[in-house]
Amino acid sequence: MGVSTDTYAEWLRARDDTELRALFACRPELITPVPADITALSSRASAPSALSRALDRLDRFALNVFEALLVLPSPTSRGDLATAVDADVSEALDRLRSLALVWGDDRELRVAPGARQAIPHPASLGPPVREAFASYPSDRMSALLADLGLDSVDDIPGRIDFLIEDAGPEARAALDRLAWGPPIGKVEGARRPVTLATANSPIERLLARALLAATDDRTVTLPREVGLRLRGGRVFRDLETAPPPLGGTVRDQALIDRTAGGQAFTTVRVLEDLLERWGVDPPGVLRSGGLGIRDLRAAAVRLDLPEWTAALLVEVAYAAGLLARSGDFDGSGTGGRGGDALWLPTQAYDLWRLHDSERRWVAVAEAWLRSDRVPGLAGERDDRDRLINALSDDAIRASAPQVRRAVLAALAEAPPGTAPAADGVYAHLTWRQPRRGGVLRERLVEWTLREAEVLGVTGFRGLAAHSRALVAGEDAAKVLLKVLPEPVDHVLIQADLTAVAPGPLVADLGRELALAADVESTGGATVYRFTPQSVRRALDAGRGASELIDLLSRHSATALPQPLVYLIEDVARRHGRLRVGIASAYVRSDDPAVLEEIMADRRSDQLRLHRLAPTVLASRVPRAELLDGLRVLGYAPVAESAEGSVVITRLDARRAESAGHGTYAQAHHAAIGSGPDVSVITAAVRALRAGDEAARVSVPNGSPPRSPAAAMVQRLREATDRGSRVWIGYLDQQGQASSRIIEPARIEGGFLTAYDATRAAVHRFALHRITGVADVDGSA
Amino acid sequence: MTDGPLIVQSDKTLLLEVDHDSAAECRKAIAPFAELERAPEHVHTYRISPLALWNARAAGHDAEQVIDALISFSRYPVPHALLVDIADTMGRYGRLRLEKHPTYGLVLASSDRAVLEEVLRARKLQSMFGVRVDDDTVAVHPSERGTLKQALLKIGWPAEDLAGYVDGEAHVIDLVEDGWELRGYQRDAAESFWHGGSGVVVLPCGAGKTIVGAAAMAQASATTLILVTNTVSAHQWKQELLKRTSLTEEEIGEYTGTKKQIRPVTIATYQVMTTRRKGVYSHLELFDARDWGLVLYDEVHLLPAPIFRMTADLQTRRRLGLTATLVREDGREGDVFSLIGPKRYDAPWKDMEAQGWIAPADCVEVRVTLTDSERLAYATAEQEDRYRFCATTPTKSSVVQALVERHRGEQTLVIGQYIDQLDELGERLEAPVIKGETKIKERERLFDAFRSGEISVLIVSKVANFSIDLPEAAVAVQVSGTFGSRQEEAQRLGRVLRPKASGKGARFYSVVARDTLDQDYAAHRQRFLAEQGYAYRIIDADAILADEEI
Repeated sequence: MGVSTDTYAEWLRARDDTELRALFACRPELITPVPADITALSSRASAPSALSRALDRLDRFALNVFEALLVLPSPTSRGDLATAVDADVSEALDRLRSLALVWGDDRELRVAPGARQAIPHPASLGPPVREAFASYPSDRMSALLADLGLDSVDDIPGRIDFLIEDAGPEARAALDRLAWGPPIGKVEGARRPVTLATANSPIERLLARALLAATDDRTVTLPREVGLRLRGGRVFRDLETAPPPLGGTVRDQALIDRTAGGQAFTTVRVLEDLLERWGVDPPGVLRSGGLGIRDLRAAAVRLDLPEWTAALLVEVAYAAGLLARSGDFDGSGTGGRGGDALWLPTQAYDLWRLHDSERRWVAVAEAWLRSDRVPGLAGERDDRDRLINALSDDAIRASAPQVRRAVLAALAEAPPGTAPAADGVYAHLTWRQPRRGGVLRERLVEWTLREAEVLGVTGFRGLAAHSRALVAGEDAAKVLLKVLPEPVDHVLIQADLTAVAPGPLVADLGRELALAADVESTGGATVYRFTPQSVRRALDAGRGASELIDLLSRHSATALPQPLVYLIEDVARRHGRLRVGIASAYVRSDDPAVLEEIMADRRSDQLRLHRLAPTVLASRVPRAELLDGLRVLGYAPVAESAEGSVVITRLDARRAESAGHGTYAQAHHAAIGSGPDVSVITAAVRALRAGDEAARVSVPNGSPPRSPAAAMVQRLREATDRGSRVWIGYLDQQGQASSRIIEPARIEGGFLTAYDATRAAVHRFALHRITGVADVDGSA
Repeated sequence: MTDGPLIVQSDKTLLLEVDHDSAAECRKAIAPFAELERAPEHVHTYRISPLALWNARAAGHDAEQVIDALISFSRYPVPHALLVDIADTMGRYGRLRLEKHPTYGLVLASSDRAVLEEVLRARKLQSMFGVRVDDDTVAVHPSERGTLKQALLKIGWPAEDLAGYVDGEAHVIDLVEDGWELRGYQRDAAESFWHGGSGVVVLPCGAGKTIVGAAAMAQASATTLILVTNTVSAHQWKQELLKRTSLTEEEIGEYTGTKKQIRPVTIATYQVMTTRRKGVYSHLELFDARDWGLVLYDEVHLLPAPIFRMTADLQTRRRLGLTATLVREDGREGDVFSLIGPKRYDAPWKDMEAQGWIAPADCVEVRVTLTDSERLAYATAEQEDRYRFCATTPTKSSVVQALVERHRGEQTLVIGQYIDQLDELGERLEAPVIKGETKIKERERLFDAFRSGEISVLIVSKVANFSIDLPEAAVAVQVSGTFGSRQEEAQRLGRVLRPKASGKGARFYSVVARDTLDQDYAAHRQRFLAEQGYAYRIIDADAILADEEI
């Protein structure tokens, strides 16, 4: 830090790699794409949009310190700054420096170029006198100064006290209204010419004394020096150096953990329940891509949940990749339906189901945290008064994941057991990111809090231990496991033909019971009822009566009631008088010899054929597959309509063909932390340094380092095989040099196809334009 | 993880493990706000309904207590949403109050203007309101008091009824406890009814509901109208009141098909009340005949729909409903609660049995198998004849005979639905048959003979379903019934539940044809009792016929 530098770019160049990495981690947009060199970086960092995004990331105090720097003469020393804001500024300065919003050492602090334009009224102060009056025509200005007996605009600041006194108390009151901002006011005829002699109203008196500057016909501005004088030299009235306390009630953390744990368990169970049902009876996809309000309501009724909770679960299932659109989604369907497309559980769902409850919850909670979908919007109306459907693209808000994370972070900061109210959390967030406010954020905060409660992230509005681990990126499942009810392996079976599982059942038993009995109520326990239908279902699924009775008596904590035994035996006795097989399709022919021939063909094995009668074969494969299979065998089958002799008994639960939105498997690996990967940042810094080196060392064409072509292709091939990342120098069609971090996928026909990490997209690169290749991961 | 006896389900049912050490304590804590729904052997099910929560509020419990009880006894964390819902629901009670107003008579007053506005705008309610007294008060037509309360319950804003009851015409009634005394639970039931003002008392058959009625009358000490199911029952009420209270023959009137006496205590039948002449209920004036201080509804689960409407107008009178099984096959339990009043007292049958107030009963389902030709005939029978066919199969007769033989010497009732079947059994068993056409006099003579032990087997049709008092019936054999009626089954079991002098348990046989509708209906009929903890044993008819030990 001791190195004194003259320009912003030089200062950036003097930052060490760690500092640059920190910068990119906080401002990832600076390396998308990676700038060619430091000079390019400095101009990008001072672009208005980049500055605005950086400022958005500041908390209120850091923002105030930054504003103070804008107000104070540049450069400013750290001491002067601390005096002006009357607080310890070291941490805020570190933050501002690491974001490259402030540069220079402590003796000469400067703001990044362009920052003055980014904040027009720092600390709610108007422009300095010189700027405020810049728009006055020169004759008018000289008339004004002459009237006041002054030579130059620069003399005004020295006369402020006198002029205020001279303007009188009414005018003073008008000034005071503008003193703490905003520093502009609306008046009619602001530009009317006034002199000390003609000034009547308080505003006119102020205009005549140059205490207000007319910006246009209807606006007057309070110059900065006047404002500061009115504030008694203080830049801020009440500076909040730390976030406001969250407040709220304090509860036993163990109770919070337990409650949240119970809710987490419920969430997982209800999700499974919903997706199981949708696997068999899926709702259609709307033309707009969402879920119809009627389907949502039906789901809410079936799950006995409020609509918004149902919307939340559906959205979370989608975000976690457990639910996806499937089938023809062409928007051509009628009645708002998008063709034949359906919402179906994915294969990832089957995978998810195999995990233990705690892992399943973590997958769901992570998806919720990361999702840019806002379940709370479902059922509301958009700007054009159209209904926003759950699962539709209208329910996406880019700021959602950031707000959720911020809310949980705020809760995590509070001492254990604290259950803050929504107001407190909102005030806290407003302090954390004062520039990102707005109605949406307020609602997002509210939604996040209520959703967290439903999902079991919080209990009694306090952050649960497992969620704390989740936010910190630790093993949340392990923490959650401790509060989840322990699975039981026994049930209480009663003479009224119900069985009560006094806790979550071990998976096997749960499955068997759900098969042999109907679930009557769920929650901490599960109540099953045996009915002739349910027992029949178990028998249909291949269980035998004695097997069932044996299973139940093994797991029953009490003697098996006799009526149940009779029920099972009665149903079993009647079971199977009619025999029904499972077949998805059939083959019919009037000529038994043809069927004989098919059965004899060994290739027909995979069609899983079964001869029912001389002229009928049943198959376990779907009709389309069967048709194809027979064609492959050289036959010319035709499909038969569904009328009449259909043998399909039960459709198996269906699954979406696509992998889903954010597949569960993927969700499992990616870190939840927002912002780019560490390796990408590291690579970017390396690329930048190299590019900068190349730009500064006078190489003939100033491009990134070159490698011999053959060696370069060899290295790219190696990287392709290893699946590792490399950074390359690349000249685009306009001859612009740039550095990219890529993941090579294949090389063919003189092109390299690769995933460009810096642009987050797959690109094709012409091999002859690649100027150099260097390893990325090796040094990371 | 605590080890509480209670599990809270997401559908607002509570599961109580009865063998748990603190089960009794927990039961006491949750009873005020949760209704016992099922009480089989191991796990009892309670339900938290809005009505139950409001009743708890009316009885002075607040949400804090309810939540505390749940949290402290629950084995697993209680879903937060459920707690919020409880607090919300309980918070709805009392925002509207029915009050007496010096000038407007009855008014609906509110502490929450928005609620009042909502209610005033509800289309179904508009006709019930009179003038708007002020911002927070609106007059109510006094005749609409009942329907308004019922309608307000339906839209979720229960009114706290502070308008009180009229005392009615005073008439001294005392209990005469000579040689008997009011049992603890009977006193509790009468008191919790009196405290609540109006309501329903649910007690098992044989637990002495009539005495609870008498105790309530003594509390009221006012003229009383008693509505009962039939004439025999009316007589029995009269006998019982003469025996248990200071009332004399002259003070009790009967208002039945034959007699039309209106006295300080009048017993009328539902049938007479619902008789219509030229489309009008001709006996409605009975309700206004006297300034009744108490209206008592016996077997309230049978209360006919027209009486609901008449009852709605009686809101200023105290009303007591008595029943053993508040299971209505027509699903109108809710109407009973809102028009008569909430459930004020309920005791699980098995608890009563444990305390010795009702006899332990052994329920046995005897399965008979149809012969092959019967099966064929059954399979091809018309849909509407099928139940009759299987329920009256001749195979049953020999089994019934064997059962009666087996219990020779014990007072035995054979109960059935179909007269032909009963007549045939009567001949076979050489026992008298009581059916619809049997004269009242003859019925009472036979009952007396049965009571005295002169005859030991009596065959009854469903006319005797209710309120007949057969003290020493020790065995009941059911051969057929009104399809799947759960409450009929409970009433029939009730015939044998009176504690026996011998201290022996009772037997209840249900003879059922295997693999037929009869069996399906039997399963449905038994559900209520199974939920009360009466586990049916199933045995094969061959075991009975072979005289095996069962």
